[in-house]
Amino acid sequence: MKKRQALKFTALALAAGLCAGSVWAQQTTLRVFVGPNQRPDLQQKLFQEYNKANPNVKVEIETGGATSELQRQYLSTVLNAKDSAIDLFLIDIVNPAQYSSKGWIEPLDKYVGGPAALRNDYLPVYQQANVIDGKVFAMPSQGDAMFMYYRKDLLAKYGVAEPKTWDELAAAAKKIMAGEGNANLQGLSIQGAPIEGAVCTFLLPYWGQGKQFNDAGGKLTLDKPAAVKGLNAWLGMVDQGVIKKNVAEVKTPDTVNEFKAGQVVFAINWGFAFDRFKDDADSKVKGQVGVMPLPAMAGGKSATCMGGWQWAMNAYSTHKDEAGKLIKFLSSKQASAFVAKEGSILPVFQSVYADPEVNKVVPWFKDALPVVLAAQSRPMVNDYGQVSDIIRTTTSAILARTKTPEAGVDEIAARVGRLMR
Amino acid sequence: MSMAQQHGLWSSPMLRWIAAGIVVINGFFPAVWILFTSLKPESELVQKPITWWPHGPTLENYVRAFTDQPLLTYLKNSVLVASGATLLSLVVSAFAAYAIARLNLKYRQLILTCIVASSMFPLVTLLVPIFETMRALGWLNSYAALIFPYVVLNLPVCTLVLVSFFQSIPKDLENAAMIDGCTRMGALVRVVVPLAAPGVFTAGILAFVNSWDEFLLALSLNSSPAVRTLPVGIALYQGEFTFPWPIISAALIVSIVPIALLIAAFQERVVGGLTQGGLKG
Amino acid sequence: MLSKLRDPSEKTLAVMLLSPAFALLLAIVVYPIGKLIYNSLFAIDKDGAFLGLQNYVDVWQDPLFWNATQNTLLITLITVPGALIVGLALALLANLPFKRKWPVRLSLLLPWALPLSFAGLIFAWFFHTEYGVVNDVLMRLGLQDEPTSWLLKPRWAFAAICLTIIWKTASFMALILLAGLQMIPRSLYEAAEVDGANLWQQFWQITIPMLMPSIVVALIFRTITALQTFDIPYTMTKGGPGEATETLAMLIHKYTIDYSDIGFGSTLAVFMFVISLVVTGFYLNHIGKNAA
Repeated sequence: MKKRQALKFTALALAAGLCAGSVWAQQTTLRVFVGPNQRPDLQQKLFQEYNKANPNVKVEIETGGATSELQRQYLSTVLNAKDSAIDLFLIDIVNPAQYSSKGWIEPLDKYVGGPAALRNDYLPVYQQANVIDGKVFAMPSQGDAMFMYYRKDLLAKYGVAEPKTWDELAAAAKKIMAGEGNANLQGLSIQGAPIEGAVCTFLLPYWGQGKQFNDAGGKLTLDKPAAVKGLNAWLGMVDQGVIKKNVAEVKTPDTVNEFKAGQVVFAINWGFAFDRFKDDADSKVKGQVGVMPLPAMAGGKSATCMGGWQWAMNAYSTHKDEAGKLIKFLSSKQASAFVAKEGSILPVFQSVYADPEVNKVVPWFKDALPVVLAAQSRPMVNDYGQVSDIIRTTTSAILARTKTPEAGVDEIAARVGRLMR
Repeated sequence: MSMAQQHGLWSSPMLRWIAAGIVVINGFFPAVWILFTSLKPESELVQKPITWWPHGPTLENYVRAFTDQPLLTYLKNSVLVASGATLLSLVVSAFAAYAIARLNLKYRQLILTCIVASSMFPLVTLLVPIFETMRALGWLNSYAALIFPYVVLNLPVCTLVLVSFFQSIPKDLENAAMIDGCTRMGALVRVVVPLAAPGVFTAGILAFVNSWDEFLLALSLNSSPAVRTLPVGIALYQGEFTFPWPIISAALIVSIVPIALLIAAFQERVVGGLTQGGLKG
Repeated sequence: MLSKLRDPSEKTLAVMLLSPAFALLLAIVVYPIGKLIYNSLFAIDKDGAFLGLQNYVDVWQDPLFWNATQNTLLITLITVPGALIVGLALALLANLPFKRKWPVRLSLLLPWALPLSFAGLIFAWFFHTEYGVVNDVLMRLGLQDEPTSWLLKPRWAFAAICLTIIWKTASFMALILLAGLQMIPRSLYEAAEVDGANLWQQFWQITIPMLMPSIVVALIFRTITALQTFDIPYTMTKGGPGEATETLAMLIHKYTIDYSDIGFGSTLAVFMFVISLVVTGFYLNHIGKNAA
C-alpha cells in the first residue's frame, strides 16, 4: 500500500514539477545582434512593442562591430564556433548566400511562408537577394540604394536640366565648374577605394548599359567590352577633370564630407547621406540638395546598386520557433513604416514610400521610389566575399591607373569566372 | 651611461639640441597631430589647404567621446586586463626564464624554441579554437578570457628578454646568497630579480603595452560593452559610412595618456641609474 | 615530499618553474595549432573528408601566395635592419646626458603608445593626396607643385608602409636596447679611454658586443612580427593598389575571415610558420648557445 501511495505521490509531484517547469520554460529570451549603425535604439522600440504583444518573449540586443567588416569578423568567429548565444542577426544584403552556404543561417520558409511572401509589396530586388535554392534565408529590414545627389542651386544657376546620361552629366559638370571657377569644386564624386562600394562603382556603368553580371543560376555572364567601356567612362571623366585624380583614395565618408562642405556638384552615395546633407550643423548645402536616378549609359537604362540590411536566423539557435515569429514581426509593413518615420530609413515595402504619414516626415522618399525600384542586387553567390574582393581591388587598381581596364576586366573575368560557374 | 658619449662629438650643445629635436619630433608629431585633431570640428578636416593648429578649437569631441560610448568603462577594463596580464606574465615568464637561464636542463634550447615558436602563428588562425575554449570554460565576456591568452601572447617576448638579462648576472651572487642559507627560489626573488630590474621593467612594459593594444581577441571574446576594452571601443565610433576623426582622436588621446604616464613613470627605472654600481666591472 | 618542495632538486625545480608556462601554452596555443593543422588536412564542411595535401598543393600553386610571401619577405628585409638602426640610434640618443631626460625618452616610447590599428590609419592620413601632412609640407617647401598620390602608386605605397612600420617599431627596439645599454659597466669605457680608444672603436668593441644579447632578442621578435605584418598595410592600403602591398598575414586574414575558407587559411598559416621558423632559426641557435 505504502509503495503505491509513494508512487502516486511521486507521479503527482513529477506532474506538478513538469507543469511548473513548462510555465517557467515558456519565458524565452531571444538575443539579437545589431550593428550600432543600424539604429539599435529603434529596434529596441520594436522589441518593446513585440514584448507587449508576446509577454513571454524578451528580446535583448547585442551590438558589435561598427562596420560591416568588423561585424563580419565577429560573426565569423562566433559562427565558426557554432555558437548558439545569438538567435537573430541583421546582415548586409550581400551576405545571405555566403552565410547559407556555410550552414550558418536557417531557412525561414516555415515561419514566413516561402518565397511567395517576398512578392507581396516588397521591393522586387529581394526576390533575387534573399532566395537561395528556392528557400528564403533572410527577411528585409532596412532598405538602401545608391542615389545621385546634386546641387539644385548650381544646376538652376546655370540652367542645367537633370542629366539623363553620363555624357550629359559630364557636360553639365564641366559647364558648372567652368562657371564657378573654384579650383576645389569637383564635378562628380564616386568611391574608388577598395571598399565594398567599389563593387557598385564597377557595376553601375555596366548595368547602365543594360548588361547583366550573372544569370539566375549564378553563372558569370560578363560582357568584357561593355565592362571596359564602363570603366573607361569613369577614367574619361577623370581625364576631363570632372572626377578628381586620386579617386582611388575616395571612401564613402569622403564623398559625404566634401559634398557637405559645398565642394561637389554631383555625388553618388547611399541613402543615409541625404539626412547628413540636410540636418548636420556644419552642412553648407542645406536645402540645396536634389535626388535623382542615376544616369544611364548612352542607349542604356538607369540602374543602381541595392543595399540595406536583412534579418537572418542563426542555424545554431535554440529558440528557432520564437525567433521565427519575431522575424515575421520585424519584417512587417508596420515595422518598416515605423523605422521609416522615426529614423528616415528607406522602406522595404513599395507602398510605404508613398505613405502620407511617412512622407510628412521624409518627403524625399517619393523621389527615392523610382530609384529603388530600379535597384539591382550584387551577385548572390556562395563565394561573394571573394568575388567582392576581386572586383573591388581590381576596380580600385584600374582607377588608380596601375592596371589598364582591359587587363583588369580580363582578370575579373578569369578569377570570378572560376568561382561563378 | 656611456662615458664615451659625454666627450667629443656630443659635447657640442648645438648638436645635442638638434639630435634631441629630431627624436622629439619623431616621437611626438603624430601624437600632437592627434591632439590637435581632437580639438577641431569635423568640417575643418576637409578644408584645403589643410590646417595644423585648430582654427576654432572645441572640446565637444571629448564630450562626445565620453557620451557616445562608455569610454570610462572601457578605460577601466583595459587597465584591469592589462595590469592583470602584465603581473601574471612577469611571474610566469620569470619562472620559466630562470629555469632556462640557470638550471642545467638537457632540452633547454628546445624549450626556448618552443616558447618562441608559439608566436609564429598569426592570431587570426587561432581565434576560433580559443573562442571555443573560453566558451567551454564559461569565461566569455570576463577579464579571465583575455588575461590568460595575453599571458601566452606575452610569454615569448618576456621570457626571452628575462633569459638574456638573467644570463648577464654573474652566478657568484646567487651562490653567495645560497651559501648564506637561501633556497634557489629565494635567490631568484631576492637576488636575481632585483639585479635584472631593468629587464623586469622592460618585460613589464612590453607586456603591458601589448595587452593594452590587443584588438582581435578583445573583439571576439569580450563583446559585451561592460567588459569591452579600449581598442575595440575606439573602433566603434566609426560608422558603416562615417569616420569621425575628431571624436576618435579624442578617444585615442584618452587611451594614450595612461600609457604615456606609465612609460614616463617607469622610464626612470628602466633607464635610470639603478644598476650603475650593481655590477662589478 | 614537503622537504622536496622547500629545497627541491634541480629537476623538480625545473618542472615547477616551467609548468605554468607550458600549461598555458598547451591550452591556448597547442590545442589551436593542432586544430589548425587538422583543418588544413581535412575538409571543414559536413563530410570532413581527408584531403591529404590538396590544400598544400593549392597554396603552392596560387600566385597570390607567392606575391604575398614576396611582399612579406621584402618588408622583413627592409624594416628589420631599418628598425634596428633607427632603434639603436634612438637608444643611444636617449642615453645621452640631457638636463631634462623625460622629453627625449617619452618621445622614444610614445610611438609605441599609439595602438597599432590606429597608427596605420593615422599615417594613411599623413600620406593622403589632399589632406595629408606629407604633401602639405613638401608643397610648402616648394619641393613639389602637385600633390603626390603616395598610396596609389605601388612602389611609393610600399615605401610609405615600410616607413610607418619602422617608425612604430624602432621604439620597441630602442626600449630593449636601452635597458641593455644600462647594464654595460661604465668601467669598461673608462678603461678603454685610458687605453686610447676613440669613440668609434669604443662603440664597436664595447657597446656592440655587450649589447649583442639584447640585439639578438630584439631582432628575433622584430623579425617574427615583421613576418606577420598585418595592421599597418591593412589600414593604409588594404593591400592595394591591386595586391602590391598584400602580406601573408593579410592573405590569411582574407581567407579565414572574409571568405570563411578556414581550410585554405589554416594551410597558409602552416606555411607562414615554416617560413618564420626558417628565417628565425639561425637566431634561435645563437641564443641557445649563449644560454650555456
